[in-house]
Amino acid sequence: MTQPVPPDLSARVGSVHLKNPVMSASGTFGYGLEFTPFYDISRLGAVIVKGLSLLPTQGNAPVRIVETPAGMLNAIGLQNIGVERFVKEVAPRLDAGGAVYVANIYGRTIEEYEAVARRLSEVPALAAIELNASCPNVKEGGIAFGSNPQGLSGLTRRVRAATGKPLWVKLSPNVSDIGAIARAAEEAGADAVTLINTIVGMAVDPRTRRPLLSNVTGGLSGPAVRPVALRMVWEACKAVKIPVVGIGGIQSAVDALGFLLVGAAAVQVGTANFRNPNACIEIIDGIRDFFVREKISRLDDYRGTLLLRE
Amino acid sequence: MPQGSPRFVHGTIHHNTGSGIFYRMEVAIPERIDFVPGQFAMVSGWPGNDPLLPRPLAIFRSGGVRGKGTVEFVYKVVGRGTALLSGLHAGDPIALTLPLGHGFEFPGEERSWWLVGGGVGFSSVFPAAAALDGQRADFEIFLGARTRDQLPPGEWIPGGAVPGRVHLCTDDGTAGFFGTVAAALRDRIDRWRPTGPARVAILACGPREMLKVVAELALPLDIRLQVSLESYMACGFGVCWGCVTAVRDGEKSVYRRVCKEGPVFDAREVVW
Repeated sequence: MTQPVPPDLSARVGSVHLKNPVMSASGTFGYGLEFTPFYDISRLGAVIVKGLSLLPTQGNAPVRIVETPAGMLNAIGLQNIGVERFVKEVAPRLDAGGAVYVANIYGRTIEEYEAVARRLSEVPALAAIELNASCPNVKEGGIAFGSNPQGLSGLTRRVRAATGKPLWVKLSPNVSDIGAIARAAEEAGADAVTLINTIVGMAVDPRTRRPLLSNVTGGLSGPAVRPVALRMVWEACKAVKIPVVGIGGIQSAVDALGFLLVGAAAVQVGTANFRNPNACIEIIDGIRDFFVREKISRLDDYRGTLLLRE
Repeated sequence: MPQGSPRFVHGTIHHNTGSGIFYRMEVAIPERIDFVPGQFAMVSGWPGNDPLLPRPLAIFRSGGVRGKGTVEFVYKVVGRGTALLSGLHAGDPIALTLPLGHGFEFPGEERSWWLVGGGVGFSSVFPAAAALDGQRADFEIFLGARTRDQLPPGEWIPGGAVPGRVHLCTDDGTAGFFGTVAAALRDRIDRWRPTGPARVAILACGPREMLKVVAELALPLDIRLQVSLESYMACGFGVCWGCVTAVRDGEKSVYRRVCKEGPVFDAREVVW
């Protein structure tokens, strides 16, 4: 009896080759090493490490998270050890994990973004840099650059010039025309766009009359955002030629397949990692099982094949 | 990881029964797990995505042999997640990530231990009592509740049959000491006459306001106090950074993760 040939799940985001299209999303996976007790992280398409800023960042005061229907709001405020400590203490340990790593970066000013990108360009373990132009939880930077095409274009152009690494730009959904934003990133030299970051939301306590988050507003993630994310990824795929990385509320293989179907080159899984540390692996296995069942031999034969009524 | 690496396991509920306001749930899991008192699990057993996140519960007891384990939890219904948990039955599947966090430390030089549990906080100090009972250590237990019905059943208290060991306290005086557990502890401290260096250590878990009062009593007397803190958590294993609490680091205050560096902290470090 001959064994069936396993489907080819390999994916490409520009020049970055992935063994499968499932990546862990920034801010939900630490530096990857936190997941080594659960599974071999080299089984992932890639690991996107937690957002790094130029200087160590303290983050927002608690309360930082609140659960909402089929989702959660977070306002962590990018607490991180800073790029120097990352390069000196964490980067040398990444090779042991054997995964493809992408660093997510953040700055309060364009100069800070450039400095972080330059420093990370020296880290061989990093396959790409993902520019966080969309964090809703910090007062300066982030979403301030990502909420209009001009701001995003200026930032992307400068960081593009600061690093030779492939540059992915992570987009905010808190905009009126996602296609125009994605095009701005493409024209400014981005190698790929990632979307969506969290949707700005809010929760209050009617009795105490106070917001539930100390930051007042936070970013909504989880299954609650998935239909919005899917629609925006579909629109972005139509708007640009560069690869689109889909993210937003993916909990299962079925969810991930939806993003691939509308044209995403690959997907990222975020909040699902909190609920089930094995989520990414279960999603990879589920995609493989689906392809076997549906007799699809390659991811490329499935991606972007959404059928629309003419 | 100093206190054992976490695992994500699928278990089956053995029993999940109410006793007063508390539920006690035993789960069969594929492997025996060892845990340090004060460590916890992230628990989810309900179908669907709402609520989305698992709930942190202190590990109450573990047992079994290689290839077949059990783990027990005690919890109180406080919201939708625990309400859904309380509706699960024997045979239902449940997902657990455990053991998590940094538990109580037992350095060994202390001559006696005072264990303080406020409300459902006893669920993280009883495992410490069981460990101390196993070592035949000298310990006393202070349990506080609003009213008699909100105290745990006496048979749950490890070593609780020893006369004079258990101090029950109720805010309304319906059982034991009429007043808060902190007030009872203050009485105990007043009666305590150390001969030589202070060799009492306190382990406490309960509402933050209670822990703060206990810290104000214990720290000026150089009594070593470890507190187990509560926080909203998304992941429970250190990646979301949602559960942080302010902790002293030299002159500075920094945010540390309750799920990872905690839930047990040295009370001197906590920014109250």
